[in-house]
Amino acid sequence: MADQPTATERLIQGILPENPVYRQLLGLCPTLAVTNSLMAAVTMAGAVGFVLLCANVIISLIRDLLKPHLRIVVFTLTIATFVTIADRLLAAYLYQMSKTLGPYIPLIIVNCIIICRCEVVASKQAPIVAAADAIGQSLGFGLALSSIAAIREILGTGALFGLRVMPALWPDWVIMVLPPGAFLTFGLLLGAINWITDKKKA
Amino acid sequence: MSSENQKTIGGLKSSNLVQAWLVLVLAMGFGVSLAGVQLALGPIIESNKINETLEKIPELVLGNALAAKMATENQTLEIAPRQVTVTKAGRAKFYSVYEARYQGDLKGWVVKTKGQGYADTIELLLGLSPDLHAITGLFVLDQKETPGLGNKIVTDAWRGQFIDAPADRSLVVVKTGAAQPGEIDAVTGATISSKSVTALINTAIGDLRKPLTAGTATVEEGGKDNG
Amino acid sequence: MTTEKQLNMQDSQVKPIDETRPTAPVIHVSPSPHLAQSTTSTRRMMVDVLVALVPVVAMSLFVFRGYALFQLAVCLGGSLAAELLFVKMRGRPSTLKDFSAIVTGIILAMSLPGTAPWYVGLIAAFVAVGIGKIIFGGLGMNLFNPAMVGRAFVMISFAGALAASGFEDVRSAVDAVSQATPMNAYKMNGVVAPLAHLFWGTTNGSLGETSALACLLGGLYLIVRRTVSWEIPAGLLLAVLVIGGVADLAGPADGWTVLHHILGGSLLFGAFFIATDPVTSPLTPRGKFIFGLGVGMLIMLLRLFSGYPEGVMFAVLLMNAVTPLINRWAIPVPFGEQ
Repeated sequence: MADQPTATERLIQGILPENPVYRQLLGLCPTLAVTNSLMAAVTMAGAVGFVLLCANVIISLIRDLLKPHLRIVVFTLTIATFVTIADRLLAAYLYQMSKTLGPYIPLIIVNCIIICRCEVVASKQAPIVAAADAIGQSLGFGLALSSIAAIREILGTGALFGLRVMPALWPDWVIMVLPPGAFLTFGLLLGAINWITDKKKA
Repeated sequence: MSSENQKTIGGLKSSNLVQAWLVLVLAMGFGVSLAGVQLALGPIIESNKINETLEKIPELVLGNALAAKMATENQTLEIAPRQVTVTKAGRAKFYSVYEARYQGDLKGWVVKTKGQGYADTIELLLGLSPDLHAITGLFVLDQKETPGLGNKIVTDAWRGQFIDAPADRSLVVVKTGAAQPGEIDAVTGATISSKSVTALINTAIGDLRKPLTAGTATVEEGGKDNG
Repeated sequence: MTTEKQLNMQDSQVKPIDETRPTAPVIHVSPSPHLAQSTTSTRRMMVDVLVALVPVVAMSLFVFRGYALFQLAVCLGGSLAAELLFVKMRGRPSTLKDFSAIVTGIILAMSLPGTAPWYVGLIAAFVAVGIGKIIFGGLGMNLFNPAMVGRAFVMISFAGALAASGFEDVRSAVDAVSQATPMNAYKMNGVVAPLAHLFWGTTNGSLGETSALACLLGGLYLIVRRTVSWEIPAGLLLAVLVIGGVADLAGPADGWTVLHHILGGSLLFGAFFIATDPVTSPLTPRGKFIFGLGVGMLIMLLRLFSGYPEGVMFAVLLMNAVTPLINRWAIPVPFGEQ
């Protein structure tokens, strides 16, 4: 256990060096599906953050009771519970947003980021570390989603958070808010980030 | 606690049920908490769903300005939902119709209708004057028309054309410059979407004219234009 | 059956040293080597394509005048600038001299409506060269026809400018531009354009597609020079002929015949200049024929059953995507037959 990263390390690692989207390529379904507006992306990142934090802490608390062959069942059970809670909360207090996000909130259950963090961190380390890890990963996920969503929303609708930022002459690139725009933006950003990291190393 | 547990059940370790005690306990706990969440939030979610349609009704019946004024003065319309069944060519068709009254007077109707657009189903809320002479508002609840072309049917500018359009004859879609009342400008490059919406409206008004004008005592002058 | 199988296995075992046979199964998803290896041959090929484009460009200048000139300038400038910029970013020697960027620019311009605003051509050119070609590793490595990638991008982005209604400008002084495109006039109102207009090209449409004559002249030159192989246009036209013929006989007698299907829209331009791109089409004659058939069938599918009046662009892009599969499928069979 001595060589396990500390809480601070976990927190910082999650944001950029081990960014769930750009470095681990996890959770790509919401990354591509809900990033056509910044508001939707931020809400999605918030929901994932909530589920990840709760699941990580609970799993970490019961980590000594886990049996290896039953751990995935426990993970799924815990995650599903908190996803349902998040889904209900959104439907109650952010009804329009919950309609926009549609099936992608229930689909957080199968988001690989959460099950990966439960397996890698929460089932091995103390609740404090697990919580710090959850926050770091959520921030990283939020950062990745907002970066893609900001580019897509500005190019595709000329607006940010629904407010017009581009001059009136700006022709909206409709393709950017459609599914192909998600793949293009994500691919180009991923390429750019790899290019920059390679340059730094060299 | 856990080690103690394991000692006492040592002989039973092979039983699946015993091994899964943690799963069962968690499932119980989570189930109870989910039930609690549902109890607390269920009513709010239900009212959200109903409000989604109801919120639009004052605007569709009274127009933007008057609806906003009513909201600031804390007045509300009394809204009574009803289901109207129309039998056409041997097939029953259902419409959700909302009757909007203010202090007992009928202010108008809001009709929910849906049908095939260019890409997918279009769902509309249509506001009608009490005597069914004029359209008082149009709102697109759901559509998946081509982005950049057909989806312009949701814009205020396009929907605005329907406000005060006559409802006692069929609306006609024209390509360039609607000149007369009852003519609707097509969205540029999306004639089919425009025609679908207009056809939906024409059908709904045609279907509902009899049931609505016959069924209410407040509409005295409704008889002269039964279509 | 078993002997055949064994023969096949033997074949695959001796293949690496048998130089008379195509080594294609080994390189089925890799770039076409005859293009990537030598700049001079690429250049000769591109010059041929440019020569073949002369009648098409001339006809578009004659019919659309200023519109064509403007679109050509925008697209050429855009694709050359994009090529220069992206190749420099990759730290490679300049590839401007192989003329491929010029060909992409001209084909792109010829596939756009003359009325499209300047940014449409510019964005299309950058997407065509950047995302359509350079990102895959440059000429010879691209999976999709660059010009069509660029066109698809702007077509979806600026639906208003590139949908059928975008082609028309009622106030325009140029005759062709003030009419509806023949494909759309038919799809929407059932108006059938006279065949002669479609043949000479005095109708509205994308700049290079209107004149069937110019496309035929250029296409025949390319085939005679063996710059493109005849199998692709042949397969494409056969598919259109058969499906269009059936639709003609089975459908309503509204005057839109199989000849209208062939001469109208961008079918001939697509058949000779777009579908024949050697990088994004299969390697073997057999594969090329299948590819042509596929493009033709998809075009007719889109024309007859989709909301779009024309389907050449999407048909070519879709068949580009299955080119590696056709390559894999079309090559081994002759071995079994020998």
